[in-house]
Amino acid sequence: MTQKSFNPLPYLLILPTLIFILLFTVYPTFQVLRESQVYFHPNRPERQRDTDLNLPGIESETRSIRGPYNVGFAYFRAMFNPSTTEGEIFYQVMGNTLRYTIVTVPVSILLAFLFALLVNRTVQGIGLARVALFYPTMLPMVSAATIWLFFFTPEYGLWNAALRFFGYRGAENWVINRDLALYGLMIVAIWKNAGYFMIFYLAGLQGLPDDIFEAADLDGATWLTKIMKITLPLLRRTTLFITVIAIIGAFQNIDHALILTNELVTGEADLLLYEIYQQRFVLQNYGFANALTVVMITLLLLFTIVNFLLSERSDDQ
Amino acid sequence: MKRSILVVLVLLLLGANIISAQETVTVEIYFPISVDSPITEILNGYAEAYMSENDGVEIVWSFEGGYGDVKNRLLTVAEGGGDVPALAIMLATDIYDLRNAEVIQSLDAFASEDYLSDFVAAWLANSYYDFDGDGTGELYSVPFQRSTVLLYYNADLLADAGLDVPTNWEELATTAQALTTDEREGILIPNSWPYWLFQPFAAGSGQNIVSDSDTEVFFNNDDVVEALNFWVALYEEYDATPDGVQSNWGDAPGAFLDGSAAMILHSSGSLRTIIDNADFEFGVSGIPGQDGGSFTVTGGGNLYMSADIDDATAQAAWDFVEWLTAPERTVDWSINAGYYNTRESGFELDAWTAFSEENPQVDEARATIDSAVREFSVQSLGDIRNILHAQILAVLNGETDAASAMEQAQTEAESILSIFE
Repeated sequence: MTQKSFNPLPYLLILPTLIFILLFTVYPTFQVLRESQVYFHPNRPERQRDTDLNLPGIESETRSIRGPYNVGFAYFRAMFNPSTTEGEIFYQVMGNTLRYTIVTVPVSILLAFLFALLVNRTVQGIGLARVALFYPTMLPMVSAATIWLFFFTPEYGLWNAALRFFGYRGAENWVINRDLALYGLMIVAIWKNAGYFMIFYLAGLQGLPDDIFEAADLDGATWLTKIMKITLPLLRRTTLFITVIAIIGAFQNIDHALILTNELVTGEADLLLYEIYQQRFVLQNYGFANALTVVMITLLLLFTIVNFLLSERSDDQ
Repeated sequence: MKRSILVVLVLLLLGANIISAQETVTVEIYFPISVDSPITEILNGYAEAYMSENDGVEIVWSFEGGYGDVKNRLLTVAEGGGDVPALAIMLATDIYDLRNAEVIQSLDAFASEDYLSDFVAAWLANSYYDFDGDGTGELYSVPFQRSTVLLYYNADLLADAGLDVPTNWEELATTAQALTTDEREGILIPNSWPYWLFQPFAAGSGQNIVSDSDTEVFFNNDDVVEALNFWVALYEEYDATPDGVQSNWGDAPGAFLDGSAAMILHSSGSLRTIIDNADFEFGVSGIPGQDGGSFTVTGGGNLYMSADIDDATAQAAWDFVEWLTAPERTVDWSINAGYYNTRESGFELDAWTAFSEENPQVDEARATIDSAVREFSVQSLGDIRNILHAQILAVLNGETDAASAMEQAQTEAESILSIFE
């Protein structure tokens, strides 16, 4: 026998983790997938009615407006059909989430990098600057949002006062105006996250070898050339890592929306996770909430796989 | 030696028997309040007082953040098959959602005619729901911590300007206009969560936005549209209040106290704070109607009883409800926590007489209750409220006009409500 005998020890060692993952991640995921095919409005009375439920592909027949009963993939068909209520909400929410991600992720990463360059120096009092920039990170999102609610106050709020100083004369109701509310959320997220990402860049910067920069200095490289040609390429891994956690974070943000815009603007500032909360708890449209959750899980899973493949590939190089 | 052990054993068994014979019933109550509030002390005091009078009952308050948290927790616990509390304080307006979700039970079997008739009638407006469709509503909640919308006015500023307390829309607008200066707003109307403060205006115009029905709304009614136009006129025509949407619910009482607002519309729940802190003469009233009269709307939370609790717990819970809503307690609760005394006979107690002599504003507030209309509550409240709010905010943001916005709200609301008819 050339084959090695089966050694159960490694499997035994990962068993507790495996049970945990199965119980708290895999099982709920399949549960959500199953329940996304169930029409259920527990806040409605049991009343029989001739209804097509306004869900595409559902035959009109007499049934309860409450549920629960199986509708197959009707919620998914509805979501991808913008002429249905669900579709309208889905497209709007995905558009909001996309805009939110596209703005908050690059801006907070850029700011984080600049902050890191700024505080990666040995000047007196630099500790204070580091604390000041890192401070928003330590606040819970709820506190951060509450502070910003005050900043956003029309007339005397700090944010509006500052904008007026620079000549801004537009609307000041940042958390209630439909055109501004989403930007309000972005501003809070950037303010909070930039300091957090800065820490990763700072750690990366301090790990860079000095001799390369000395060599570059001897060659007469400018500050900008050194940043673009040496610092950034060497911090590629850090940037990739930050980008991943920033994007995942953008999908997970909900706390500040609950404080700032909760039910005050309808639709224009709703992010995916916030909409799931609204549908599930406030409107009690269980099937739609579960279908949205499936979309969110799928997106995050896809993103994780792509990221995994990318980082595996760069490891091989 | 052996004998003494035997005696001890027998005694132990006897003791165990006695204890199990008078098994304690636990009445758990979900209550919406942050933990660091003096309210918790009052409630714990009530529980201790009740338990010392009644053996075999344990009252356990379970404090939650807000009304929404209590509702979500109860729904989640019930759905997951967990131990539901016997009682919960939740918004009076959530009655349809809660009954439809089968997490609360009818109180008809417990509440006597005599008991109910002593409640000030306005507080029961959101307590009945004809769930079984037999034509008469079943009782699902008992009034507990209730409030109304009040107009708070700075009497010193009015006197200085030689003005009287406004009695109709025209006077409200001109008075507010006259009291507006560079440093002071004539009137503040926090309207970012608009339906509640809007209802007294709609009613004062001639039509509340809801009736007693659970499927009827009156958004596009001419009087309701007129009320919304009056809000807009307050800043567009009279410059008596800041423009557009005002997200200043939390700031308004402070602005009133420091003199930067001459009048505010706010919950009666702020009365206590304002009485304690105002260094000027002030008064409260209902909201003047278009052509006179005074109007307000009810608000706040009621006591609900969970479905799926055993009979002994239900009875123990009801006994506590009756004790908690006895006139002595409702007056004490009113004095200490700032909510309304909900029992007619409470107003005759010495404690109330003394309290209202010392604080005339609480009697002024009490005078508004009879003009209080039913708070906005229909089936699918979350959806319908979103629809109404979106349109009111669009009007205040200057994106559309009141008539077409309310027409739109009516159409959208009816398309949802029609499935319940």
